[in-house]
Amino acid sequence: MTLSTLPKGTRGRIVRLPEGEVRSHFIRIGMVEGATIACLERLPGGTIVLEFSRQEIALSGDLAAGIEIVVI
Amino acid sequence: MSEPVIRHRPHKHPGTETVLADPAKPRVVLVGNPNVGKSVVFNYLSGLYVDVSNFPGTTVEVSKASYLHYDLFDTPGIYGVSSFNDEERVARDIILNGDIIINIVDAVHLERDLFLTQQLIDMGKRVGVVVNMLDEAKNRSIGIDLAALEEALGVPVVGTVAVRKKGLEDVHALIVNAREGRQHRSLHTDLHAMLATVGSQAEALMVLEGDGIIAQRHGIAASDASRREEIYIGRRNRVNTLLQRVVSDAHASRRIAARLGRWSVSPWFGFPILAVILTAVYFFVGVFVAQDVVGFTEGTVGQGIVEFHIKSWIARNAATTVTVDRLDAEGEVAESRAFRFDEGLHADYERWAEARRFPAGHDATFTFSFDNPWLVLFFGEFGAITMTFTYLVFLLLPLVLGFYFALSVLEDSGYLPRLATLVDRVLRYIGLNGRAVIPLILGFGCVTMATITTRLLGSQRERTIATTILQLAIPCSAQLGVIAALLATAGATATLIYTGVIFSFLVLVGTVMNRSLPGEVSPLLIDLPMMRMPRLDNVMKKTLYKTWFFMKEASPWFFIGALTVGILQVTGALVHIMNGLEPLVVNWLQLPREAATAFVMGLVRRDFGAAGLYHLNLVPFQTVAALVTITLFVPCVASLMVMLKERGLREGAIIWVGSLVLALTIGGIVSQILI
Repeated sequence: MTLSTLPKGTRGRIVRLPEGEVRSHFIRIGMVEGATIACLERLPGGTIVLEFSRQEIALSGDLAAGIEIVVI
Repeated sequence: MSEPVIRHRPHKHPGTETVLADPAKPRVVLVGNPNVGKSVVFNYLSGLYVDVSNFPGTTVEVSKASYLHYDLFDTPGIYGVSSFNDEERVARDIILNGDIIINIVDAVHLERDLFLTQQLIDMGKRVGVVVNMLDEAKNRSIGIDLAALEEALGVPVVGTVAVRKKGLEDVHALIVNAREGRQHRSLHTDLHAMLATVGSQAEALMVLEGDGIIAQRHGIAASDASRREEIYIGRRNRVNTLLQRVVSDAHASRRIAARLGRWSVSPWFGFPILAVILTAVYFFVGVFVAQDVVGFTEGTVGQGIVEFHIKSWIARNAATTVTVDRLDAEGEVAESRAFRFDEGLHADYERWAEARRFPAGHDATFTFSFDNPWLVLFFGEFGAITMTFTYLVFLLLPLVLGFYFALSVLEDSGYLPRLATLVDRVLRYIGLNGRAVIPLILGFGCVTMATITTRLLGSQRERTIATTILQLAIPCSAQLGVIAALLATAGATATLIYTGVIFSFLVLVGTVMNRSLPGEVSPLLIDLPMMRMPRLDNVMKKTLYKTWFFMKEASPWFFIGALTVGILQVTGALVHIMNGLEPLVVNWLQLPREAATAFVMGLVRRDFGAAGLYHLNLVPFQTVAALVTITLFVPCVASLMVMLKERGLREGAIIWVGSLVLALTIGGIVSQILI
């Protein structure tokens, strides 16, 4: 499944990140393959608010759809 | 699990001596992730005199100051040194030229921030680390062993609570003691291999991490993305390992601020919170500043005192007709009288005294009509000097101060990225991402100011769309006041139609541009910093910097704009333009011929255009047609000039001509349907 379908209040582990520069950016901020993330909030239209290692970030739906995860 | 790491001892790298313009002044560069308190440290060290300018070839602002015998540079907030966007490219170049790097990290987000720290160390720079927001870490029961961090990184570390000025006195020692830190051994070996070609370890690292621009400067090929990823993952792992020795973490309860932060991006509470904030901003900027403060500064001080004295001083020895309008309690002209001075006020002091007695205690306006066209050009009704001065200092300055104050409060509280998150989806329909909400809101203050702010958008495509929408469909505060007054007399139906037309037009333009321009909306990936109570001194300083920067950028354009219209007026070209517009205005827009004057005056100041409609006695639907035309019509000359500068001559001209054509077309269609 992808991050865009992770329900609010649940946690997941990143299995695969998208390619390209955005991948490097995710690695820089510590959102690497294997990292645990929690979905804090889902907004209408697919924007998603995440928490991982004490950081909160917001992603638009199209980016979240490119990140493969497993629910834990 | 420990990786091979060398404790780097200073040794000579061939050709690494940085070429300094002023070798006596070492360059200290402040580097950090966004929202770590970098600007507070910069303000603490820099004192009052800061030089803010655009980095050459970009629209990124860079601050430079002097600190003791050092040159101090601030850089844009970045997550790493590379060239993914303009901010990163600017920061990268300043860092490459720096001698001492002071890296500010957020104690709560060490895992994120130390990636940059380690990268700076890998560059072989002399580094000192400021661990900021220790109070926040303590609140969340995050323990940080600063000594262990210092040992692990191999560079000096100090802890601070910058907003409360705690620990900032140690930053000086940090600058003095900054040194090269521990570097990864195999990476260091690779870097040495490249040193002969590239000349500095820092640039060698950039090339190795695939920075095409740096590689090109040295005429070699950059490494591919897989090498970068290998280095990045290695660095990320080292940081994670290091953190286990440095950070101890107990789960703590959430504070109110954190809860507020969460609510502000929730679908249920987010929009009500936004409504409350926007209402507060409206009452502060739109009512208090725009009406009360500006009413006093522009009307009483600017026109009543300053302009009056300048003009009567100029008129001492110049042929002039002074028209005095005595006003009644409603501000309407009760009685008007013209006084003629063939040889200036000085020669006929008795008559001038009589003119000044004429109001007899009532409010009055004095209009000076000079015979000499040069005096008209600079000091007349639309005088380039008198009008620009009043406008800039007494109208625009309070307004811009008010807007930037509100913006700085929202920025320092951590709300802005949450606002961007909340509205991201909506703005994507019109080809923008959530960040564009800031220039769009600023546009209701001053379109010129907002056009400059479009720089914060990630792509040229978004800057084009945002600028077009601002210039076309967003009425600025000066205009809004007049529009609101006119609509109040025109009634509810007229107001609804006006709002409906402008709003649908805004959506239409955005949608069409989104569909037709190549590329797509850049995805939103935004860091949500902790919500914090903003510090007044920091907010004030930010407000003053931003206002100063804006006034410096925009003032010449306001002057040139007024001068252009002044020349048109003096040479008589203005009359020809108005005559030329007349058939369109009368037949197509179905408005009185005097409305043409209002439209052309709108060029100088958008509010002049709308204000010119006051006395035309329009029926409600005529008001709607006129206001639609004037809102969509070309913005004031200053915003046009700033747009041409920001967007380039060709694109700016297209937007300008487009707005002219669209304003007349849409205004006419509305008029033909309604009337």
